[in-house]
Amino acid sequence: MLLSLTLVLYSIRIENMREEIFHNDPIDRKQSNPKLLILGCAVMERELRQFQNGRVEFRFLDQGLHRTPQNMTKILQTEIDQACEGECDAIVLGYGLCSNGIVSVHSQRQTLVVPRIHDCITLFLGSPESYREESAKHPGTYYLTPGWIEKGQTPISKYESYAQSYDEETARWVLHEEMKNYTRIVFIDTGVYPIEPYRTIAKKNAEFLSIAYRELHGSPALFRELVLGPWEKDFLIIEKGHSIQQEMFLDV
Amino acid sequence: MISRGLKPYTKLVKMEDPSIHEKLYILSQAVVMRDCKAVKELTDSMVAEGVDLFKVLNQGLIPGMLEASERFRRGEFFIPELLMSSRALKIGIGILRPLIQESKEDVLGRVVIGTVKFDLHDIGKNLVIILLEGNGFEIIDLGVDVPPEKFIKAVEKNGAQILAMSSLLTSTMSWMKFTIELLRASGLQRRVKTMVGGAPVTPIFAKNIGADAYCREATSAPSVAKKLLGIEQKW
Repeated sequence: MLLSLTLVLYSIRIENMREEIFHNDPIDRKQSNPKLLILGCAVMERELRQFQNGRVEFRFLDQGLHRTPQNMTKILQTEIDQACEGECDAIVLGYGLCSNGIVSVHSQRQTLVVPRIHDCITLFLGSPESYREESAKHPGTYYLTPGWIEKGQTPISKYESYAQSYDEETARWVLHEEMKNYTRIVFIDTGVYPIEPYRTIAKKNAEFLSIAYRELHGSPALFRELVLGPWEKDFLIIEKGHSIQQEMFLDV
Repeated sequence: MISRGLKPYTKLVKMEDPSIHEKLYILSQAVVMRDCKAVKELTDSMVAEGVDLFKVLNQGLIPGMLEASERFRRGEFFIPELLMSSRALKIGIGILRPLIQESKEDVLGRVVIGTVKFDLHDIGKNLVIILLEGNGFEIIDLGVDVPPEKFIKAVEKNGAQILAMSSLLTSTMSWMKFTIELLRASGLQRRVKTMVGGAPVTPIFAKNIGADAYCREATSAPSVAKKLLGIEQKW
């Protein structure tokens, strides 16, 4: 009951904020030209940059932040506090809830815009519905995108890093414990990379784990909306002074 | 970050004639440093000396695992270190468990446990199982991706006193809520207590979904479970 009321209040607020940011001048909308700072994860840099335009400034942070959500919150907050001193009308986060890594994040001077998603896989697939559908059909899916292969870790690169610190048997045991419930690797072609070298790596990872391999075409829809607006149902608009909370995401 | 702890630990394990208090501390550090051999030797030696088994568990092994988990949370340890500490802990508990079982006529309680629907992460859940078994609980492990109906059936069939659920994803934690709702609808919530945990789970979430208890980390599971059943914790 409380959650529904909160959501209703939010949707009203979102409408007002959207109006403020995009349509400052309802008579001549062309003059409305908000400056945005997009603060995002390096894993989706190319997918976001394809929509670059004159009113957007990008800043990308290390892909591994979600692994320590408490540190992630502090790093994001510092970036936002610094951005507050600059001149932009809104800060858009290229992050999902990311294991609570954005919970409590707030901006004192700008409106925050956040995709209402659990993690970046939804952005790559293009909608919360596609992500839900894939997870329901195959919960044991390990997703890879060119950005993940380039900037993040793959099962093979994990194994190699474990083998540097420990003996081969231990490295194999650790990787097995970590990956034993995964049944397939899904490689998402996001359409902005030369695909072949990444596809080869993704396939090798599936062979390495002896699990199924599948490819899916990603969709640029959410990346486009993240950069260009209008930030409708899949986005949260957080007023300045208010902070991001876990509850805002749980019914996605 | 990991090697920073090595030198003092090397000195610690070589300490001559340590007191029981010091041995318990060295045992905890052996778990942190993933030293299975030292965990085995120290646990064996304290058992032989007649140190209270729960003291070895709750003042040696568990604090070590807690420290390893905290370091993982802070990003100083990674998955390999966490898993290897769990393995060292399992060795120590493997020595204590049969002795604890011998010394008690009944199990402390029966716990149905699993990772919720659409979630396949089980490192934390498996650690909770090691710890609860070590403390004398009987465990019915339903594995991963467990739908609410399966939890409820297992609780009913086994006459469990506790239903424990784990989730590592914000996208799956709502299944804890659905499971508790089904438990209520089936009228079983009067005879079973629920406890929830996992990295994204918060005390507020646990309260909002009506869980009876929240575990911040796996190592707190035994004390939380005992409290739920009104069992006094000696050490």
